Amino acid sequence: MGSFLASRLMTDIFGGLATGTVIALIALSLVIIWQSTHVLNFAQGAMGMFATFVGMNLVFHGLNYWWCLALSVVTGMALGALTERVLIRPLYGKPEINPIVVMIGFLGVLEAIIASIWTTNISMLPSPFSEIYYEAGRRTILVSPFVIYEVIVVALVLSGIALLFRRTNLGLQMRAAALSPEVSRLLGVRVGRLLTFGWALSTGVGTLAAVIVSTGQVLAPTNMDGIFVSAFIAAAVGGLESPTGAIIAGVSIGLVEQFILDFWSTSVAPLSGVIVLVIGLAIRPQGLFTRQVSRRV
Amino acid sequence: MIRVAGLSVTYGAVRALRDVSFEAPTGQITTVIGANGAGKTTLLRSISGLARAEGSIRLDERELLGMATEDVARLGVAHVPEGRGVIAELTVEENLRLGTLASKVPLAESLASQYAQFPALERRRRNYAATLSGGERQMLAMARALIARPSVLLLDEPSLGLAPQVTAETMRTIAQLCASESLTVILVEQNAKSALRIAHDAVVLHLGQVAAAGPSREIAADPELRRYYLGVAS
Amino acid sequence: MSSLRQRFPSAWRLVATLLLLVLAVALSFVLSPLDDSKLAGGAAISIVILGLSWLIGWSGQVSLGNAGFMAIGAYVTAIWANHHATSPIVWSLVLSTVIGGLSGLVLALPATRLRGPYLAGMTLAFSFAVTPLALNWRGFTGGSGGLFINFLSTPAWFGGLFSGPDALIRANAQWPADVTLVVAAVAFYFMANLFHSRVGRAMRLVRDNEVAAELSGVNLQRARTLAFVISAAYAGLGGSVMTLLSGSVTPQTYGLTLSILLLTLMVLGGIGTLSGAILGGLIYSYSDNLVSLVNKVSGINPTSTLGANLKGIVFGVLLILTMMLAPRGLVGAGAWLRRAARR
Repeated sequence: MGSFLASRLMTDIFGGLATGTVIALIALSLVIIWQSTHVLNFAQGAMGMFATFVGMNLVFHGLNYWWCLALSVVTGMALGALTERVLIRPLYGKPEINPIVVMIGFLGVLEAIIASIWTTNISMLPSPFSEIYYEAGRRTILVSPFVIYEVIVVALVLSGIALLFRRTNLGLQMRAAALSPEVSRLLGVRVGRLLTFGWALSTGVGTLAAVIVSTGQVLAPTNMDGIFVSAFIAAAVGGLESPTGAIIAGVSIGLVEQFILDFWSTSVAPLSGVIVLVIGLAIRPQGLFTRQVSRRV
Repeated sequence: MIRVAGLSVTYGAVRALRDVSFEAPTGQITTVIGANGAGKTTLLRSISGLARAEGSIRLDERELLGMATEDVARLGVAHVPEGRGVIAELTVEENLRLGTLASKVPLAESLASQYAQFPALERRRRNYAATLSGGERQMLAMARALIARPSVLLLDEPSLGLAPQVTAETMRTIAQLCASESLTVILVEQNAKSALRIAHDAVVLHLGQVAAAGPSREIAADPELRRYYLGVAS
Repeated sequence: MSSLRQRFPSAWRLVATLLLLVLAVALSFVLSPLDDSKLAGGAAISIVILGLSWLIGWSGQVSLGNAGFMAIGAYVTAIWANHHATSPIVWSLVLSTVIGGLSGLVLALPATRLRGPYLAGMTLAFSFAVTPLALNWRGFTGGSGGLFINFLSTPAWFGGLFSGPDALIRANAQWPADVTLVVAAVAFYFMANLFHSRVGRAMRLVRDNEVAAELSGVNLQRARTLAFVISAAYAGLGGSVMTLLSGSVTPQTYGLTLSILLLTLMVLGGIGTLSGAILGGLIYSYSDNLVSLVNKVSGINPTSTLGANLKGIVFGVLLILTMMLAPRGLVGAGAWLRRAARR
């Protein structure tokens, strides 16, 4: 049993799951924004990273990890709400490339601001749980208390969001506002506020992912870049409309990347996302998990 | 009661409504009829704050013009839009739950009262609205509008796409609800004949202006007016 | 003037291009060697901007991958030059354009099946992959050190045009600039004709109304693919010229940051127009001056970390503001001013 758990196959699966769950989390945050406002948020990674810097930097000034985490997420939510109000709201009804371009500009601004404020920081963000891998027999399994914590947190957040959308009135209103804003308004749903809340929720989730990614790492502005691309691909392959699809695709991409890294070559690894995207979308251009809905003319 | 005075709506260079005035008294059905493009839908949309308009629209003494759509809805103005506005991707019950947001009546009680009124909906409450027939969708749209106990009901072409018997049934339901709940109903209809049959008053719109207004019996009897609301047919 | 333009559109475009080229070359004789090299950089970038402008403005597709195609063109030129040192530079340019276009085709086959956001994301993924790939494939790319080539040698007749103590310096600075201007003129002339061709009109239709385009017999996927390939070929050409100008290519040059900068310059100039691409190139030429101006006005210490990152902030903010306030860029603002003045 020990040797099986430590086999190359299982090692890759554990490693892939650890990244895959975080990818799924970010992909889900992209889907939330896409569903409510039909904007693909290219600055999502940078926004999460910005909020992470604001909150987690205080760890180095002696504040408790958990307080900093909470502060980061709240900052992220505020940043998301503000972004929707200031940058996105004026663009509703404009061509779809306008918000894309604006968010790309915002990505550039945020990365530059982060880099200019927090460059001196080269310390490792300490993890609240041990990152030492467990051993079975005399072999190492790529699972540590931190990995377990990470997977549990992601699972909790994912199910929390599923509950929010499926079971609560707030979630029902958010779904209705996304599906049919005008009818929702006629029923008294305050659509504008819900859009802002959608952005806040999404950026909060993205921030949580950024904190997880950065824990045990040097806090660097580029921490989210690679994983954001993977998450984007997961959201696209899952078919931007489907939260479940995004999660499944996110975990799968984590696994695929891990296997390409291990069995193929490190040179191809940067392209693995593109490969998954090409294959996934060649099979079904509208995403693997969206129901086929005829486009309205 | 709804009092519309001097209402004008322009879309770019097009004037959709010009100086429209009429009253829709409480407990009565006022029907708005006219040919395609006469401005009937625009009229309802401006009452709900979906179209930017000039003039005045009062609900009792309250000015509605300039209010956000959500706030108009929360004041008790229920609007069943063109095409019914049933959200196909939600279940029947989810659609109904959305309707209760504007009211203070407990959810279970509201649902029970609507299921009593429309038993067919209770049987299908867990089905997606997409699976409903045209008549059932009409029922759902009405139930969703009424569940918040509104004082005003705006209906945009409820008969559209329905079989004649279902249309007759729907019209009967509207008349009955108007009386029992003392609603102010504004009914926009292409099917002028059946609308005039149940309405107390009628407003005939022609090219965005009021061509005639008065008790529906008189409007129906006036052969001159028919060419307005029956279109080219006569 | 305007009636001539309407009666002989193609001849008009040729004359206009030649006039502009002569003007720019004349200008290069007046300007200092430093300004010449800035001008050349701007002209090279304007080729890439033009390709992007065509893609976004005419076919309605967004690409964040054009810096990647530039990298391909840049490496092709460097590798070719290192193996065939004596071949004329025209071959480097043509080869880079063709291979840039072909790699565009490879990416376009899946990408053009995608709609707006999917496409942008796919090219984003490509953009992120370029630098690591160039670092990894050391055999081709020279790894992190990059590749170096010899600078363009100035022909004797051109050197003969200069006199004085700094004749050699001026000739050597100006020759690559003038070559770049000629290349850019060819690229712009071709694009001007493309804009007004049947393909250009079909592309507009694809962007504005897919259904109408399909009904009038346009194959949507083929049109989108073509737009993408042309855009990638322009990026390849631009990358090739950049290598010829700088004499080197390094993997870090062609990352996502450059793609964002290209997008910014295009939006600032004006989406989908020739003059917008020229303006974008000019802004690129003098972007350092612009940033140091902001530095001076705001009193930020240029050696501080904020000063070092000011460029990203300035261009990001400019991109956002332009898109929100004047989405048609400087060209649009100019047209608006002309209309206002006439009133």
